[in-house]
Amino acid sequence: MNATALHSEAVVSDETRASAKSAGRRFGALVVRLGAIAAFAGIIFYFVLLAPGFTSTFNLINVVEQSAILGVLAYGMTSVIIGGGSDVTEGGIDLSIAANMGLCAAVYATLLSMGYGDMLSVLAAIAVGMAVGALNALAVVGLGILPLLATLAVLNVAAGMELTLTQNTVVGASSPLLGFLVSGSFLGISALAWALILFSALVIAVFHYTSFGLRLYAVGGHPEAARAAGLSVPFYVSFTYVLSGFCAAVASVLTVSRLSASTPGSGELLLSVLAAALLGTVFSRRFVPTMGGTLLSVLFIGLLVNGFQLLNVSSYWVNGVQGALILLVVAITSFARGSEGSR
Amino acid sequence: MTRSMKGIIGALTLGLAAACSLAAISSASAEELSLKGKRIGVSAIGTDHYWDLMAFKGIQDRVKELGGEVIALDAGRKDQQQIAQLQTLIAQTPDAIIEQLGNLEVLNPWLQKIRDAGIPLFTVDTATPHAINNTTSNNYNIGAEIALQMVADMGGKGNVLVFNGFYSVPVCKIRYDQLKYVLTSFPDVKIVEPELRDVIPNTVQSAYSNVTDMLTKAPEKGSIGAVWACWDVPQIGATQAVEAAGRNEVKTYGIDGSPEVIKMVMDPKSSAGAVAAQQPYEIGKTSVDNAARYLAGQKVAPFTFVPAVLINKENAAEKGRPFLDAAEKAGVK
Repeated sequence: MNATALHSEAVVSDETRASAKSAGRRFGALVVRLGAIAAFAGIIFYFVLLAPGFTSTFNLINVVEQSAILGVLAYGMTSVIIGGGSDVTEGGIDLSIAANMGLCAAVYATLLSMGYGDMLSVLAAIAVGMAVGALNALAVVGLGILPLLATLAVLNVAAGMELTLTQNTVVGASSPLLGFLVSGSFLGISALAWALILFSALVIAVFHYTSFGLRLYAVGGHPEAARAAGLSVPFYVSFTYVLSGFCAAVASVLTVSRLSASTPGSGELLLSVLAAALLGTVFSRRFVPTMGGTLLSVLFIGLLVNGFQLLNVSSYWVNGVQGALILLVVAITSFARGSEGSR
Repeated sequence: MTRSMKGIIGALTLGLAAACSLAAISSASAEELSLKGKRIGVSAIGTDHYWDLMAFKGIQDRVKELGGEVIALDAGRKDQQQIAQLQTLIAQTPDAIIEQLGNLEVLNPWLQKIRDAGIPLFTVDTATPHAINNTTSNNYNIGAEIALQMVADMGGKGNVLVFNGFYSVPVCKIRYDQLKYVLTSFPDVKIVEPELRDVIPNTVQSAYSNVTDMLTKAPEKGSIGAVWACWDVPQIGATQAVEAAGRNEVKTYGIDGSPEVIKMVMDPKSSAGAVAAQQPYEIGKTSVDNAARYLAGQKVAPFTFVPAVLINKENAAEKGRPFLDAAEKAGVK
């Protein structure tokens, strides 16, 4: 009896200590988060003051246009992280997304160059992108492989298929749709920039203003609770991977329009896509990925590259700064997670 | 056959003479050039290869020498990045843009936009109708010379492994087409199908394993006579693979003249047969001079050739040294 009482007392005091500690950590996390946002704002402010031509409308539209492909891919990545949970090792992640875009671009450009029309070629690209997404879903949900490993394997499959299809060459492409994407504009904003604006509006609406989006967050945040509430966790998780494949296909059409061809080396984009999706969490109070946060970080990365060039700072710095920011954000995120984890 | 060979050599000599007189003309008008107060944008697809780095460096050094400001952009082999850099560069309205290499199919619409924005465009090693001047080596000559050297070393017959992964890069297209043209006169020299694909990055490793595989597939000595590539980084991997397989009858041929490859050709025991060595640093510098002339209101020819030298087993000791010295002087390994 006595021993039990003592024991339970100890537990109580441990709990109070833990909650005091977690409150402290949460305050700390808040300070660091605001600090990170202030650093972002500081960098932009610095560009506004010192980079010649940075604030001109023409330049800003250029940045939005340059961010379109990265943005669409980052939405795919964000959706997978939302649905699979943001644990860095076991949560949702889609490492195949950039390679998938390369494969879709190759399919799209090859079909166009063989004389098939836009309609069929775009549909084929979307079908391929979603099929690769479905393969990810099968590996992760069906076979229970860690997303990090499953999507890494699919990355190799997609990259290999792209190489087989294009023999690692540049496949030139032109079509009415590509022509429109390159030179079309409305209200002074180019078609590519519009593509990002409209796609952003769509994903933000679905993920943050529908009950479907809420359920995705529930599935990613606490799968057991979601299951207990009657949600089909496998369905929602699979959905995010297929959506990610769809995003890769959409991005592939944009990339072919921008490069007038499908070119090898799309896989290079993966780091930036991951950076955008991870950096985006800083803009949410609970350090969860959000579509709006992803959009802000995509634009931030675009502005960073642009500002460096306008200031005539070597582009070699961009990668370093991008890497440092990822490290900072991941550190902050795990710091904040620590407070939730200890509860 | 001898007659056609003579014809080719005659044409070559003529071409060489023309190239020399062109070079003479351009050096004769070497006057006081200046880029004071001018901003010159420089866009390169990448600088991971010796040639690219030397040319990129030559351009920047020369712009600074002439008192201009450089906006130097290295796209790190990423087409997306190069396009974004060019787009922002157009918005920066420099006095001229110098573009160095890349995929022409990707670049052309954007080079057109540079001209539409009223910015004079100069290119290095990139033949495009949008450039005011393209400064390069005479790739028609280089391509034919290296092909003829290969045919001569093979004794006019045998099978060739060809790396053809970069046909979309204009200079590679010219050199490859010249190879094919030379081979039309030597029907006993055959290209092994399917052709090999050189890649970036991991060029050396990939070429090594490609050539090793092909040698394994054709195990009899003499069944493969040579390996050809439109640049010399695959040649490094190919040479290593040939030597590792003990197939010293196979010789390798490439173009550019990276110090590593020149040293291989200079080594009598190495399987590197020949390399056409270019002067990338000079090419970069010359393109800047052309831009400066144009900006000073002078007329500039649509292309300028900077001489290249064929380094083979016979002349390597004498001809190779100056290139190695130049590389050392520029501080690039």
